[in-house]
Amino acid sequence: MFSAMIKKEFLLVLRDRHALLALFVMPAIFILIMSVAMRDQFASDTINFSIAIIDLESNINTQKLVNKIQSDDGFNLVRDEKTAQFIITIPKDYTTSDKQKIEILVIDSIKNDLLEIFKSKLLKSVISVKLEGISEKLRVISNEAADSINKVSISPNELFEVSYDKNEDIPNSTQQSVPAWIVFGMFFVIIPMSTIYINERKQNTLTRLTSMNISILSMSISKTIPYLVINQIQVWIMIGVGIFIVPFFNTPALEINGSILALVALSIALSVSAIGLSTLIAVSATSSEQATTIGGILNILLGAIGGVMVPKFIMPESMQNFANISPMSWGLDGFLEIFLKSGDIFMVANESLQLLLFGLITLAISMVILRIRISKGL
Amino acid sequence: MIKIKNVTKKYGELKALNEISLEIKEGSILGLLGVNGAGKTTLLSILNGLIEIDSGDIEVFGLDIKSDKKEINNISSIIPQHLAFYEKLTVKENLDFFSKIQNATQENYTKAIEINSLENLLSQEASTLSGGQKRRLNIAIGLLNNPKIIYFDEPTVGVDPKSRNEILDSIKSYKKLGITVIYTSHYMTEIERICDEVAIISKGQIVEHDTLENMLSNRVSDKICIEIIHSDRKIDALDIKNDLTIQTTESKLFETLATIKENNIAIKQIRYGSTSLEKHFLDVSEK
Repeated sequence: MFSAMIKKEFLLVLRDRHALLALFVMPAIFILIMSVAMRDQFASDTINFSIAIIDLESNINTQKLVNKIQSDDGFNLVRDEKTAQFIITIPKDYTTSDKQKIEILVIDSIKNDLLEIFKSKLLKSVISVKLEGISEKLRVISNEAADSINKVSISPNELFEVSYDKNEDIPNSTQQSVPAWIVFGMFFVIIPMSTIYINERKQNTLTRLTSMNISILSMSISKTIPYLVINQIQVWIMIGVGIFIVPFFNTPALEINGSILALVALSIALSVSAIGLSTLIAVSATSSEQATTIGGILNILLGAIGGVMVPKFIMPESMQNFANISPMSWGLDGFLEIFLKSGDIFMVANESLQLLLFGLITLAISMVILRIRISKGL
Repeated sequence: MIKIKNVTKKYGELKALNEISLEIKEGSILGLLGVNGAGKTTLLSILNGLIEIDSGDIEVFGLDIKSDKKEINNISSIIPQHLAFYEKLTVKENLDFFSKIQNATQENYTKAIEINSLENLLSQEASTLSGGQKRRLNIAIGLLNNPKIIYFDEPTVGVDPKSRNEILDSIKSYKKLGITVIYTSHYMTEIERICDEVAIISKGQIVEHDTLENMLSNRVSDKICIEIIHSDRKIDALDIKNDLTIQTTESKLFETLATIKENNIAIKQIRYGSTSLEKHFLDVSEK
């Protein structure tokens, strides 16, 4: 009996083109677009600013500064000021007067954090030139002192050893996008589930099945299993997109640093959660249009709150705490544990149990609602 | 035999069924008539074990509805008004699915296909079938478990006349197989055509249960009922009822017919000592 019911469910999903698009094509496209689009936002080292320099003092000292700026890979000196993001103006008497400041004209609208990165890069060049000047002056007095100035490093990589605390790991764009859109895509089982459930209810097929002694528990289990399998296929296809396709777009490939077992356990728990919520919506709604609308809106809200659309680490702390109400956030946290922190099954146990519990509770509520509906003639 | 004794079903304060009692003979075809909301669907749902009764007893072929629900479901089948199958599956996939979940035998599977002439449609997706073909598939699914009782809930809605005739003929043939049929429909002609007995349900109560023959005869005793096409004026000599019927007696028949002829009124039909099921149903329901 179960095999027939599972086969039926698979056939119905595989023949629902819209559902297949939502389950497989939509998240794959999102992974590609968001990984590429957010590549630079997640990797400040690779940021390149286009600049134009106006040297009003124009002497050997300011030329040194211009050369220094030009030699920095983070700057791309352009001749046409119209194409520059920033115009740097070195004022007259800059090298002789302590009161003169380098002027920065920001052409493009730019976020504050990028402006700070720009200023720190420029500061590095300015200090470097100033240190060279001090070194030259000191050489008249003491070669040893001048050499010691020359040895002063202002490269962040030489000055700082950066290590991440467990909770402060920051993913690259692929590591953020792949799990985010896997989680989001998995919850879109609402589309085929609600369509099939509501058609069965409206067409009295559920009545017929009940009159054939098929229990509500059997119906629910036979519907859960196919979607568990479909969700697992989704996970591995999306991971495949992250590993094999994303690099073609000059974007870092996904790396699975953690345990595969943990990945399987987490994705099964996440799937139970997505199926539970989808079933609850499907049995509560009165039409498939209502179910897909409510389901779609709820998915977008849970995704927005849970860090799918906007990564949690750039949210304010209060918002990060609020994000924890979303099961998508639990799933995303679990995936990031595995991808970033070499997470094993114990490290994702908390998230997995939360998701499993959420899924089982919503499934249980769904069965109660379905039983009531059937007893009232649907 | 199906025995329904003093069955009551309430939805909140509303009594959907109020102490109804009914006996349906094995192998008979019972037409269950009632206006919308009369309690037909509730009664069918109870007989199919979908909802439980508040009080009373129901016995189906010696099995108690409360304790032997599964066994009763095994020997009965419902053909819902809606097309209760999967449009995206082929005819064969639908039959295979419903067959497997009921552990139907190959013999029953083949018989259901044959009776409903689905042999040439097996590979066709159900959504591409005509209205009549869909109805036949809907019925075939209900025959897979070789039921002793079949409940038909308006099975010919939206079906063309040819397919309707085929469906009605096949339902009539179930009697020969000893299957008990409970048939609800809004088409009185269908009930008149296939049913042996008729039960009229109104406001949750069985207001009349009799053989079709008894129900149609002797209802106006010695009177003769003349149905006319139309009359847009009042004729003092004729007592024309609102339903365009004139009732008379045998002794006054020629006199009445002469008056009708004088007034150029067209006659639809003359029934001696009988009335139509539709009129009878409306009379009984309105009481």
